[in-house]
Amino acid sequence: MRTRDEVLEQITASLVELFEIEPARVTLAARLNEDLEIDSIDAVDLIDRLKRQTGHKISADDFRSVRTVGDLADAIHALVKA
Amino acid sequence: MKQRQTYLWRIFVTGTCFVLFGLSGLILGFFVLPATLLLPGGAARRRARMRALVQHAFRLFVDTMSGLGGVSYEFTGTERLGRPGQLIIANHPTLVDVVFIVAFTPAPACVVKAAIFSNLFTRWVVQAAGYIRNAPTQTMIEQANLALGSGDTLIMFPEGTRTRPGQSRHFHRGAASVAARSAVVLTPVYISVDQPLLHKSQPWYRVPRSRPHLSLRVGEDIDLAQYREMPPPRASRQLNAWLLAHYEAESGLASVYNEEQ
Repeated sequence: MRTRDEVLEQITASLVELFEIEPARVTLAARLNEDLEIDSIDAVDLIDRLKRQTGHKISADDFRSVRTVGDLADAIHALVKA
Repeated sequence: MKQRQTYLWRIFVTGTCFVLFGLSGLILGFFVLPATLLLPGGAARRRARMRALVQHAFRLFVDTMSGLGGVSYEFTGTERLGRPGQLIIANHPTLVDVVFIVAFTPAPACVVKAAIFSNLFTRWVVQAAGYIRNAPTQTMIEQANLALGSGDTLIMFPEGTRTRPGQSRHFHRGAASVAARSAVVLTPVYISVDQPLLHKSQPWYRVPRSRPHLSLRVGEDIDLAQYREMPPPRASRQLNAWLLAHYEAESGLASVYNEEQ
């Protein structure tokens, strides 16, 4: 998992599988909370899954400023690169 | 006349208990806690000692409240509290629910509201005992999962805050999420009180007309197998809905108070 596109693909797959969201709704601008109805508890499940998939230590604190799918992709991408 | 006397006595007992509670918090925090820090053992041992200390202090408090005639109570099934990795959940009709459950659970951890961590009387003790702050939600869930994963017994109140009589029940999904993910066993406690007692919209001196009676009952462990097979977001939603319906069925009748109060 290196490029941002691959990260995005992974996020989309997770959202579809965990929350049964239609892939078409997962756009970079989609807001996790308002548009995709992912609340703070769902976010824990999502982060947990991404953590296991990427094999990186990720904590909720890394996602304080994440609002959209694009933000999330950036945050994960930055962590994976680091 | 006799009834008026016992009524006034219960106001006195209730006030005394509030003062005792605050003083105990300070004494534990400022004198006992520093003393236990001098004992050998690492952070985990210290935390376990503090939890045991809180348990015994709460037990003494329960004995005092009931001994002075402030409340009467029965608590059945307590031998099933305190297993490793056990998540204990309970409804929350009165201010003293957590005191009773902690008093009868060997060295538990507990999720408590964030305000307890900034209250002068309680903050030292909850910090030393490694209790978990209920906010922010994500941190709370991570810490709760960690605690259960390391074999602690954890107490959570899915209602989040005390309920008002007649208010419809609502469970926050956090407890269900933690249960589905990391509880070894999930054990419900059903609490009912025969009249409104120290609930949210009641000042402390408005004690009930007659001595209130608390019934606490430890229920059967809840089978989590089916929830472990679904994606976590669905598991927490389904388990939460099931728990809510279950509590309505188990204690729905008991939550109907005498409205004339």
